Amino acid sequence: MSVPLTLLGLLEREPSHGYDLKRDYDTFFNRGKPLSFGQVYATLGRLVRDGKIVISDAEPGVGPERKPYVITELGATEVNTWLTEPVEPEPNLQTVLFSKVVLALMLGRPAEEYLDVQRAAHLRRMQELTTVKRGGDLVDALLADHGLFHLEADLHWIDTTATRLDALRAAVGT
Amino acid sequence: MIRFAIRLTVVGGREAVTRLVIIAGAVALGVALLLAPIAATNALGAQNQRYAWLNTAVAPTVKGGDSLLWLIHGDYYHGRTIGRVEVAAQGAHAPLPPGIPRLPRPGEYYVSPALGELLATTPPAELGDRFPGHDIGVIGDAALPSPDSLLVVIGRTPADLTALGATRATQIMTTAPSGCGQCYAGFNANDIAVALSVVAAALIFPVLIFIATATRLAAARREQRFAAMRLVGATPRQISLLSAVESTLAAAVGTAVGLGLFLAARPSLARIPFTGERFFVADLSLTAPDLLGVALGVPAGAVVAAGLALRRVRISPLGVSRRVTPRPPRGWRALPLVVGLAELGYFVGRRPASTNGQLIAYVTGFVVILVGLVLAGPWLTMQSARVLAGRARRPATLIAGRRLADDPRAAFRSVSGLIVALFVTTVATGAITTFVAHRGAPRTDSVEATAVHKIFWPEDGPAPTPARIPAGLGSIPGVRDVTLVHRADDGGHWLAVITCSDLDRLAVYGRCPPGARVAAVNPGLVDTPGTEIEAADLDPAAVAGLPIMSVVVNTANHAALEQARTLLENAFPRGQPPASEGEREADNSQDLVRLQQLASVVIIGSLPIAGCSLAVSVASGLSDRRRPFSLLRLTGVQLATLRQVVAIESLLPLLASAAVAIGLGFLAAELFLRAQLGYTLTPPGWVYYAVVTGGLALSLTIIASTLPLLQRITGPDTARNE
Amino acid sequence: MTALEARDVALSFGETPALRGASLAVDPGEIVAIMGPSGSGKSTLLHCLAGILVPSAGEVLFEGDRLDQLGEHQRSVLRRDRFGFVFQFGQLVPELTAQENVALPLLLGGARRTAAMAAAEPWFDRLGLAGLQRRRSGELSGGQAQRVALARGLVARPSVLFADEPTGALDSVTGEQVMNLLVDAAHDQRTTVVLVTHEARVAAYADRQVIVRDGRVNALVRS
Repeated sequence: MSVPLTLLGLLEREPSHGYDLKRDYDTFFNRGKPLSFGQVYATLGRLVRDGKIVISDAEPGVGPERKPYVITELGATEVNTWLTEPVEPEPNLQTVLFSKVVLALMLGRPAEEYLDVQRAAHLRRMQELTTVKRGGDLVDALLADHGLFHLEADLHWIDTTATRLDALRAAVGT
Repeated sequence: MIRFAIRLTVVGGREAVTRLVIIAGAVALGVALLLAPIAATNALGAQNQRYAWLNTAVAPTVKGGDSLLWLIHGDYYHGRTIGRVEVAAQGAHAPLPPGIPRLPRPGEYYVSPALGELLATTPPAELGDRFPGHDIGVIGDAALPSPDSLLVVIGRTPADLTALGATRATQIMTTAPSGCGQCYAGFNANDIAVALSVVAAALIFPVLIFIATATRLAAARREQRFAAMRLVGATPRQISLLSAVESTLAAAVGTAVGLGLFLAARPSLARIPFTGERFFVADLSLTAPDLLGVALGVPAGAVVAAGLALRRVRISPLGVSRRVTPRPPRGWRALPLVVGLAELGYFVGRRPASTNGQLIAYVTGFVVILVGLVLAGPWLTMQSARVLAGRARRPATLIAGRRLADDPRAAFRSVSGLIVALFVTTVATGAITTFVAHRGAPRTDSVEATAVHKIFWPEDGPAPTPARIPAGLGSIPGVRDVTLVHRADDGGHWLAVITCSDLDRLAVYGRCPPGARVAAVNPGLVDTPGTEIEAADLDPAAVAGLPIMSVVVNTANHAALEQARTLLENAFPRGQPPASEGEREADNSQDLVRLQQLASVVIIGSLPIAGCSLAVSVASGLSDRRRPFSLLRLTGVQLATLRQVVAIESLLPLLASAAVAIGLGFLAAELFLRAQLGYTLTPPGWVYYAVVTGGLALSLTIIASTLPLLQRITGPDTARNE
Repeated sequence: MTALEARDVALSFGETPALRGASLAVDPGEIVAIMGPSGSGKSTLLHCLAGILVPSAGEVLFEGDRLDQLGEHQRSVLRRDRFGFVFQFGQLVPELTAQENVALPLLLGGARRTAAMAAAEPWFDRLGLAGLQRRRSGELSGGQAQRVALARGLVARPSVLFADEPTGALDSVTGEQVMNLLVDAAHDQRTTVVLVTHEARVAAYADRQVIVRDGRVNALVRS
């Protein structure tokens, strides 16, 4: 689900309150199912505990939802690593890939490069699966084919998205 | 590699085999048309040689041995020439003419087979009575210029023959007339040989175009096949070899068939009177060099042509998947046409002196115009197509115009044969019609044809007395009148005169000028129509006492004319036999007759070939249109519109080029006539227009016949991605 | 030494540039897949590597020697003797039988007919085409025709096999069949393979994939 990493990424963009974070997440990352406040604050708490974010000095007398969170060096490094490194190619990666692309665009990072790197990783995995398919027995082949078809679908998405990046950038930039 | 190439050619599948068959057929036609003039030229030489002995009068003298007294005259029967040879031996070993076993003795004569038949079917009073004695045999073929020749060799006593003005000959002439300046029997073979080569060229052109059209059949498939091989690594040279083997095979088969065609057509060919007389079939021969030249030359030519065609196509391994628009034809193409016309125009008023010079001048002019026509055609088509497309209001016109402008060469190719044929036909007809109008062939019922005369030239001896004129002349049934023309001597020269009362009474020979009493006329009395008769300053009463210049007999039918001629001939054996003005004219217009024959041959030959060419290219154009038109139909263009497109695409080049060809043909004919003869062009008769309209109508029919096929071949299945 | 190499190759069709400084090096025995969107110039790159087209700039080297400087004749001979080709369609000669098509490169190279046909024969069993030797190309299914084309591409034991969308006209199962056979045969003969495809699953058969974008080669990470 990568909720923590997404929230962290949003905070790298700018310090925000929990309320704003939830709103942004619901708008850009999870249209179908809004996050519950509980989940938001639980995640934020965990991040604070891990030292990835800190609560900045707030005005006194403000409730928890009005407390601004700021990202730390550690947190920024984690976001960077997450964005630049490819995700292990597995089926059903749509949401993760999607999040990464949107975030990259928001943060002004080179989304094209990230897509290329991901594509290479996918192809490498497809190569491995093809070797398995050619050498193994029928069951192995069936499983490999399953993986291959899904990876191919991902690659189609990557290709299509790559051509739409400019438009996406405009839509996401706020 | 060659065996592989042969195999590839032969297993080509139906389309490829059809193509090769058509090419072979076109080559066969070309070979037959090439061999015909070659053989005719050989026959020309042979026939010329056959005339040689008739010129014995000018044979060089040979010392020692016996001599022969020799006299030859040209006689006529029903307009046909009879060669009348009279001989008297002066010794046992006198030279012997060919075709007869011995010299005829006085009272004997030999006749040619054709004359023998004529004698058997004609009353003696009209023909047989002219020859003194009896028929002792047939003259052999060796002495006859033509199977139809009318020849008679009459035996006389030396005394009789000398009185008639014979010459002494010590040998029979063996030099052909064209090699001998003084010979007057026979014809000039060189002129006719050149005319034959022009005919050959005029016919070869449509055939070459036919061959080129056939070669383009199924070109797309063939190029695809070559592209596949190039991909696999066939070198361009290997592709050229493949193409050459294909062409050579087709050409070799075509040459063999063409030879067969020629042999089959030989008897009919012999019947064409190129020289006025038909050939012996055996004379229409081909020498070994002729045969070898054609048998090797035509396939070699095919290989070269295939190589050249391939060079233009540049088959790349990626084949024809990318259809690049061919370069448009440039304006310079119209240049040769202009040059040719300018050349002919240059000679107006500057006629070359020698016959050879004239022939070179005009023939090159015509050939350049012909080539120019074929070169300029695509450019003309493109220009008119652009105009059409620019002003098009209906979609069919727009599509057709753009397609034509895009690839005008293909459109013109199909009608090019017809255009050449039309040009040649127009020039020939224009020239001939004008000739006839100016020189004028006499009408068969005019007095030129019905009046026979015997002229007593002063050089032949003293004129006869009136008593010697045969009395029976006037009583021959069918004789209208017998007239005597007298000779008035005036110092060095003489006048033929007749009283005006006689002339006006006869009426048919013309009228005296008003106030005249004696008229000066042609010795034969008959003159060119429209000539003014002049007055002679003589006393009418004195005319009857003057020496007789000629006897003129006007007749009402052939029988009477021949009887009168026979009577006159027997009464006056010395000098030229009696003849009508029309017959003498006919001798002079031999050229005209020959030209008409040749022109007919060209016209009859070239139009069907052009038709074949058109049919083949229409068929090939149909299959080329398959794909693009199927796709058009799928996108919603209606069948009727597509039919209109095909119609316009075919008609525009046809009609535009036809108009240009005909116009240029008349122009070229006019320039030629003005330069050579000073005539202006006379418009041709209805036959010409009928032939041209017929030719165009036939072409339209061929094109129209393909329109119904359009529906079937552009069905949805052709648009599949094969 | 590389088997095949393109250095900064540029080529335009009229006004349109197809390749602008494309570089690629292929090792002997390697299977390289060239991917890219349509119009990117990947087929053009293959054509330049195979000596079918001559680039307007840059160098193409085959086993260290300049390929782009050879004449048309020499390149044709090279294609015939050292390269093999499998294209998407339109490559078999329709008038010849399947066996003759396979034997074609050998025949063009001057081999005698019997020898060439004998060399072509074993490929039929090997590629699952038993009994189809005498069929014409019109009588073969798409997959069979592509396998015949593959046999033809490999019969002369080429150094490099060029395949341009070999499975483009085939359904996925048949396509996989063809790719399996291709890779097996290439490994057997240690043939270098240059494969152009827009399908990732076909490219996955290769050892390495590169992308051509806007006329340039973008190498993805090596395995």
